[in-house]
Amino acid sequence: MKYFLYSGCSLEESASNYLKSVEAVGKALGLEFAEIEDWNCCGASISYVGANKLSQEVLNARNLALAEAQGGYDIVAPCSSCYIVMNQVNHELKENEEQREKVNQILAEGNLKFKGTTRVRHVLDVLFYDVGVEKIKAAVKKPLKGIQVGGYVGCQTVRPYGEYDSVERPVIMDRIIEALGARAVDFTHKVRCCGSGIFLTELDFGFELVGEILRTATDKGAEVMTTACPLCQLNLEAYQSRINQKLGTNYHIPVTFITQLMAVAFGMDPNKDAALNQNLIPVDKVLKVAA
Amino acid sequence: MAEKASSKYDPTFAREVFKHVDAGEEIVKCMQCGVCAASCPLAEKMEFSPRKIFTMIRAGEREKVLGSKDIMLCTSCYTCIVRCPRKVPVMEVMHGLAHYALRQGFVPRRESAKFGREFWKCIYNTGRVNEAKAMQGYYLSDGLVAGAKKGLEMKDIALNMLTHGRMKFKSLVPIIPAAKIKDIASLRKMLDKAREMGKGGSPS
Repeated sequence: MKYFLYSGCSLEESASNYLKSVEAVGKALGLEFAEIEDWNCCGASISYVGANKLSQEVLNARNLALAEAQGGYDIVAPCSSCYIVMNQVNHELKENEEQREKVNQILAEGNLKFKGTTRVRHVLDVLFYDVGVEKIKAAVKKPLKGIQVGGYVGCQTVRPYGEYDSVERPVIMDRIIEALGARAVDFTHKVRCCGSGIFLTELDFGFELVGEILRTATDKGAEVMTTACPLCQLNLEAYQSRINQKLGTNYHIPVTFITQLMAVAFGMDPNKDAALNQNLIPVDKVLKVAA
Repeated sequence: MAEKASSKYDPTFAREVFKHVDAGEEIVKCMQCGVCAASCPLAEKMEFSPRKIFTMIRAGEREKVLGSKDIMLCTSCYTCIVRCPRKVPVMEVMHGLAHYALRQGFVPRRESAKFGREFWKCIYNTGRVNEAKAMQGYYLSDGLVAGAKKGLEMKDIALNMLTHGRMKFKSLVPIIPAAKIKDIASLRKMLDKAREMGKGGSPS
């Protein structure tokens, strides 16, 4: 199946290990990814500071219109922020004719038109519904046996519509973890926010939010965390020593992207395909499986 | 009695919010149940929960609302949106209020305002956000010395990202500009027009 892979800004640098593993896993599962030519940033959630709602809609409508004109395949977003923002604009403009006309009047500056003929989907949705657990299981060559994985879904990943999983108690990430042969740890803060884009400017609050996520997951036995969002991954991984200083804890728990675990379980190269060498906290337990 | 109670309500500010704040008209649906306040991951850090902010808007407390730190503490987790029984997009109202407050000269939260502005500047200037450049812009927005000091506080994390191939060296060097999308010219025209045509501007 062919899709547009909307990698977004984070996957260009800070989450390049996510991009590499998404591409590797996609290839192994027969997903064909194309790029939306000349895509722009989705604006993420923080753009409300500098921009009104119409500007944020235009930003996303431009990408959607480009995708429609370039083939109209489903747009797959590995980043939860890209997914939620772009998906919401797509829905709202499809439903609201008056707003759609206003946006199209603006898009005409670039000879573009939003028609509402594509879909925006999260990579988890595509992995679970288009590929399916059976096919994922069949691709596993090195099961992640005995590894206890805390699947941190994050908040934006399944919201606001809950199109492919519950907005309060999502399950499909755990089903994928189990398909890889690992044990999915159930914990209370699976969809509790990590602080997202205000983490950086309100560090103390961010530390508390992430501290609680790590506490509830490790209390239930998680040895490795996994996410499907670049900012969740960064906030959970990069600040652990600061969090320890601040909260008097002792976390040193690796934080992976779900596609990194998949690449390892599929028997692919742990560095070239899974890009585990780019994780800041070594993922030893998983690397042992790969060896 | 009744007269005294109603005299506390002043619809002037509520009208301003309906007209100029993105999603502002949605607050009429609020029935003050407090599910938003109970759901917010940072509610305990707030003086005024979203529910209280809505009441204050109805009471006409303009300065108190637009100057409140709490309208800008949103992490955008959408929990209030998915739980509100009246389908008020609470998060969007908060974003709208914060945007409007900033354009009216209030600064609810200084650091988030600076970072948010740099983030948007990257989008407007290049079409995308180079994360390292956005961070530099944010750190340097207080001047070179303050910026260098702040940057140094984060140098361990930056270095860690750099050595793990999660930040490019050229992104770290301030004098090398970030790449632009091809059709940046028309994107800017679009964004200028959207700023003009959308809500958020000054009351006329």
